[in-house]
Amino acid sequence: MRPTILAGALFAIGSLSAAFAQSSGPIKLADVAELSGGGATVGTNWKNGIDLAVEEINAKGGILGRKIEVTHADSQSNPGVARAQVQKALDDEPYVLLGPGYSGSVKVTAPLAADAGITQIMGGEAAELTQMGDKFLFRTSFGQQSSMPKVAKYINDELKARSVAVVWVNNDFGRGGRDVIVKEFGRLGITVVADQSTEAGQSDFAADVSKIKAASPDAVFIYLNEEESARILKEIKRQGVTAPLIGETTLVGQKVIELAGGAANGARGHVGLTTDAPVDLIKQFRDKFVKKYNYVPDHNGIKGYLAVYMVKATTDKMGKVDPKAFADTLHGLTIKATEEPGMLMDVTFDEHGDIDRQGFLVEVVDGKQVVTQVLPKLH
Amino acid sequence: MSANGRYLRIAAGLVVIAALIAIPANFNRYGLFILSQWAVMTIAAMGLNLTLGYAGQVSLAQGAFVGVGAYASAILTTHGWPLPAALGVSILTSFIIGWLLGYPALRVQHHYLAFVTLAFSTLAFLVFRNESWLTGGIYGISNIPRPHIFGFATNKPLPFYYLCLGSLAIVSLAVWWLIRSPWGRAFMSLRENPLRAQSLGVDTRRYTLMAFAIGSALGGVAGGLYAPLTQYIDPVPFNLSLSLDLLMMVIVGGSGFFFGPFLGAMIAVLLPEWLRFTQGYYLMLYAIAVIVLLIWSPTGILGILDRFLANRRTKTASALRAVAKSRLETVQ
Repeated sequence: MRPTILAGALFAIGSLSAAFAQSSGPIKLADVAELSGGGATVGTNWKNGIDLAVEEINAKGGILGRKIEVTHADSQSNPGVARAQVQKALDDEPYVLLGPGYSGSVKVTAPLAADAGITQIMGGEAAELTQMGDKFLFRTSFGQQSSMPKVAKYINDELKARSVAVVWVNNDFGRGGRDVIVKEFGRLGITVVADQSTEAGQSDFAADVSKIKAASPDAVFIYLNEEESARILKEIKRQGVTAPLIGETTLVGQKVIELAGGAANGARGHVGLTTDAPVDLIKQFRDKFVKKYNYVPDHNGIKGYLAVYMVKATTDKMGKVDPKAFADTLHGLTIKATEEPGMLMDVTFDEHGDIDRQGFLVEVVDGKQVVTQVLPKLH
Repeated sequence: MSANGRYLRIAAGLVVIAALIAIPANFNRYGLFILSQWAVMTIAAMGLNLTLGYAGQVSLAQGAFVGVGAYASAILTTHGWPLPAALGVSILTSFIIGWLLGYPALRVQHHYLAFVTLAFSTLAFLVFRNESWLTGGIYGISNIPRPHIFGFATNKPLPFYYLCLGSLAIVSLAVWWLIRSPWGRAFMSLRENPLRAQSLGVDTRRYTLMAFAIGSALGGVAGGLYAPLTQYIDPVPFNLSLSLDLLMMVIVGGSGFFFGPFLGAMIAVLLPEWLRFTQGYYLMLYAIAVIVLLIWSPTGILGILDRFLANRRTKTASALRAVAKSRLETVQ
């Protein structure tokens, strides 16, 4: 039974080191992300974005003259493990907690961070996360409750579609988006003629697409992860479905275009964060990221990068490193990209921790993501 | 075994129990969470050890039973039931489902049985995910309350750890008794030679079903505690990988040894945590460690100990024999 005693010693050392206060030395950030398991792509992008931002900020002298130190912990894409890792991170009293990205993992960890009075900047996009009354939780991207109405509005106003087929992936991401947009369609009087649930990792979409074809909708809304999006686009092309294809972020992502090739042409969608946005700062970010990691990040990479700059901008605004006042300062804060270029775009945080920022409507033309319309920031 | 050896073992056991009670009192919340997780997983692995280790029935569904127990307890406690009552339902539900799953085991064995249980595991996952009216679907169930036991609130990590430890103690005593009872011997006869067991009058049919049902019920107990431990459940943690994890715990600890699941769960829960300092490599190192261990000793950690003890006993016996022989020779 010696390992137990060893564990005890290790834990004891861990809690001792936590006793060092935040008053001097580096500013400690703790990241808990999906570095293995089903969410590995999400978590790894998020982590790389964080590391890039930390490196940049430290190279310029840190925040208020103090360097940033970030620790990464793997949640294995499992809420139980996420809870343990967040607990461990909180026991070390970080300045701010970053992550996780999966909504289920956010749900289980947010009460812990709130109890500890530590701000949590997360990647989750499920609508309900910021509606739980948590005073310490902030988004880095649009929640589904703000992105989906924009997509529904586009389908209603621009495409004038009266019937629509919805294809979604049956996990918390897909299901959450599907529930919001179907409600929105109902409000706009658009009929959902096919409601197709698919599996994460599904490779054959023939049956799903033939059902869509049989329903002959005016438009098809596709909400799948990147690889599955590419597969369904190919199948849709093969079966000759001609209705416009609309998505949110994933459908028109860089990875989908690479995988689907010509089949991605014509796909449209709303994108909150895209490395192809016609914004100079985002282009610069993309170049820096590609230089460091040798691949083009998806929106999760940008989210991780923004999370760290949110910490910097808020701390600069306070003029001191104060974990207790952090959340209060960030609520209602507007950060302009001209003042803090790391934020890439002007952004405002509301009292729920939700984000207000410009968004983009894009279309894939000749294998390239083209921004057709910039949706302005609301406030 | 000599009287001395027995006292030594009892003393060692008491020291371990005292350590498990006293040392964690100073742990931080993370340490307590991990230890509680260890206690819960040990209970689930003990169940599988009964089914697989003692009765020899391969099951890849133990994770699903943890899920059944977790959902039963989560649904009921969020509707205001006290945990002990919810736990009772968890146990009963998994017992009944386990019993039913035992029927295929009467017809198929070994890897065929593994496939049947694997199918059940997938089926359970689909039910957890798709029956959203009951299970909350992919959104899961949040805000699962932690119970009051005899008036004590277990909201804080330390009391909850003691609840898990206490449950582990009760389950351990029950299993200890079970495997020493005629039932336990009947289970082992199923594993060693079912035909012979039958010829000796053991009702193999009933004991096979029982081995499944009791093993699954312990999975249910573990699940019933897992839900209030994490206070949020969704279908993902109960997919096939948990069943495989539990299977690994049993085999690595030593399948068919009483203390096997304790050690196996310790390796599966604590080893990855200790290896986390290696950052991105921790899961890889963990996997390598397990592979090396199983190559070195296919019978698990306790298999090593068992071999060592058997060796020593043989040597002692030989030495005694040699002495006796020489005495005899001197007399002559």
